[in-house]
Amino acid sequence: MQELAKIYGDTLLLDKKFNYCPGCGHGVVTRLVAEAIEELGIRQRTVSVVGIGCGGFSHHYMDIDAIEAMHGRSPAVAIGYKTASPDKIVYTYQGDGDCSAIGLAELLHGANRGLPVTCFMINNNLFGMTGGQMSPATLENQVTATTPKGRDVHVHGYPLRVPEMMADMVGAKYVAREAVCDAKSIRKAAKSVRNALQCQIQGLGFSFVEFIVPCPTGLKLSVPDAYKWSREKMVEYFKPQVFKNEVGQNNEN
Amino acid sequence: MKSETLFLKNTQTFAEAMVRCGVRYHFAYPITPATEVMKHTAVILPEYGGRMVQMESELAVANALAGCACTGTLGATSTSGPGMALMQESISFMAAGELPCIMLDAMRVGPGDGDIVGAQSNYFQATRGGGHGDYRVIVLAPASGQEIVDLMPDAVKLAYTYRTPVLFVIDGVTCTMTESAIFPEAHDYAAGFDTSSWAYTGTADHEKRFLLTGSYTHSQGEEMNERLRAKFERIKEKEQRWESIQTEDAEVVLVGFGIHGRMGQDLVANMRAQGKKVGLIRPITLWPFPDKAFEQLPESLKSVLVVEMNHGQMLDDVRLAVNGRVPVHFLGKTGGDMPLCTLADMTAQINTLL
Amino acid sequence: MRTKCTFSGSGGQGSALLAKLVCQGAIKQGLKVVMTQTYGIEQRGGDSTGYVIVSDNFIGNPLVENDADISVALSPSIYDGCVDGAVEGGIVLVNSSLITEMREREGVKQVPISASDMAVELGSVKCANIVMLGAALAATNMLEFETVEQVLRETLGAKKPALLEMNLNALERGRTVYASAAE
Ligand code: SF4
Repeated sequence: MQELAKIYGDTLLLDKKFNYCPGCGHGVVTRLVAEAIEELGIRQRTVSVVGIGCGGFSHHYMDIDAIEAMHGRSPAVAIGYKTASPDKIVYTYQGDGDCSAIGLAELLHGANRGLPVTCFMINNNLFGMTGGQMSPATLENQVTATTPKGRDVHVHGYPLRVPEMMADMVGAKYVAREAVCDAKSIRKAAKSVRNALQCQIQGLGFSFVEFIVPCPTGLKLSVPDAYKWSREKMVEYFKPQVFKNEVGQNNEN
Repeated sequence: MKSETLFLKNTQTFAEAMVRCGVRYHFAYPITPATEVMKHTAVILPEYGGRMVQMESELAVANALAGCACTGTLGATSTSGPGMALMQESISFMAAGELPCIMLDAMRVGPGDGDIVGAQSNYFQATRGGGHGDYRVIVLAPASGQEIVDLMPDAVKLAYTYRTPVLFVIDGVTCTMTESAIFPEAHDYAAGFDTSSWAYTGTADHEKRFLLTGSYTHSQGEEMNERLRAKFERIKEKEQRWESIQTEDAEVVLVGFGIHGRMGQDLVANMRAQGKKVGLIRPITLWPFPDKAFEQLPESLKSVLVVEMNHGQMLDDVRLAVNGRVPVHFLGKTGGDMPLCTLADMTAQINTLL
Repeated sequence: MRTKCTFSGSGGQGSALLAKLVCQGAIKQGLKVVMTQTYGIEQRGGDSTGYVIVSDNFIGNPLVENDADISVALSPSIYDGCVDGAVEGGIVLVNSSLITEMREREGVKQVPISASDMAVELGSVKCANIVMLGAALAATNMLEFETVEQVLRETLGAKKPALLEMNLNALERGRTVYASAAE
């Protein structure tokens, strides 16, 4: 492990056994976040506020302090934290259910407030931990545990696009959607993670990145099929793009 | 800030008192009659290097307060019943996570949206809690502006000593009343507590720590509950507060908190002047309920009268404490142009019991 | 000693200010004082009443429960309330400029004072409340007259010397008029 730390740095806790299912997109995003923290040299002053869901595990794989908030409330907790400790770097790590179902009000008002905190929304388009129920991001006609005949948009509404709602908010300074479906998209996602945290370090304002990730378990697909599904179906509706970037120079997006 | 006498609305007194005792961040959402507190802190907190932060809902308020508490910094909130209802989730979270903070419920008429006029409608909400699971928070019930000022240092100390939210409940009539209070010199009581052993301030000076109120194994849930239970027992044993007046030879004891307890002081004086043996027990902590005040009831006691600005909430705790030794009667009222029992009402009721 | 006061009027008549001045005077003299206001949804317009209790010891009961020792009725709409809310042996000061019909209540002394007319003579109808304050001080001995003069000086201060002058005159006028009106 000591040897690995030389390569990967101190943030990732490499001896920690992953709780994520094999092939889960969380594994990729968690690693991207850890690498960005390491690279930016902010580990010791970074605190993660995690949501309820599989993403709640994310902090266990990093050597940082963490707060496991109530379902959906992480952005409000982060704002309270940042208000009292403005020198700390605070990011939330939430799923699409936590972020865009139960916690949408806290998220959007957090974005609009413009306090320099960062929210990462890991969108696997369903509730993974509780067994694959519909989330606001579930696609039209998609079958889940609670939409056995597919999501009927006349009953459950349409798949919710979150960063689009923030793009117009003055307080939000970095807003992006990335996908984690192949090597190329992962490289782009890594840049967005860095930009979002950089946005906070520079004290510019709120930053947000959504990640389109597969949940093979919830989708009941093999790992390759889950990635394919994400790449084809999800990305078609949730288009990866940088909506807003006021981080300034040195950004490669 | 030097010691001084101020003539303020009691909501403003609350704001002054908490800021003078070390609260630096006040999270709030407007709601009558608690809004006066945030109006006041919005003015005075910047002078102390702090800030009032208006949030988008009481849900957000209570969670931001939790976030603030995670840093070890003393934060506060103020609200009324409907807002308290929304905060229950986070109060349970803070109790489980052992996060200190100061809260005020400026009580108004319920249920539902109720009415903005003062009441003591939230005794149950405060002492039982509507949040998830087995938890308690310390509940203080001052009866005057001066008592708000006098209790505030204790409230901060209790919050940090036991690492718990401390909730003040004050009826809206007392809240909107204007009276003078003597403020001692300002002192940051929170600063006296070392939070470095638990605050989530980053791993620069400690091993990774994380706040977990959930559990990864079933035994973790049990352990958390055992730990909290032991703490609640300690608080129950050590922190009961009340005021007793002339109970030693009383035939009737009046029990009231807040404004009715305060009025009871006049009532006892008036009745004693007429040779009538009436005493008063005024609970100051509602949780822990001052059971000890009822341990030594005099032989002379014929009955107890509980008076509240509701339809009988503390009544349950008094009955448990009296435990059938004498009859416990109740007089209560909530809402209306005169939303409480007048001294005349209370006096008439006591006369029927003597 | 404890004095319970009711200061009542319609919007703009300054009953709340009247209550506040009494409170400030009480604090100046080191007395205990509690002020409560009429409850209700209405925040503006309509009538307003300030209840004040001045005492030399802790005020347990902060309510004025139909036991006001001294009441000031500035407008007709609140006149009945002031008469009914007086204690046996209490005094009601009636603004007879506006309240033209009075009704008897046994055990309550009602003193008509044409406060609004006097105020106009003194320079502005707005100081009718201060005329009544002077009368209320004369009718009770809850505060020293000089204390209230001092409070007026401090509140109006050097900023509004003309206003201060008028109000001091109004206070004095109320005091002198009470003696003759109370006959
Ligand atoms: S359930 Fe889905 S989101 Fe959760 S760990 Fe497994 S694959 Fe990942």
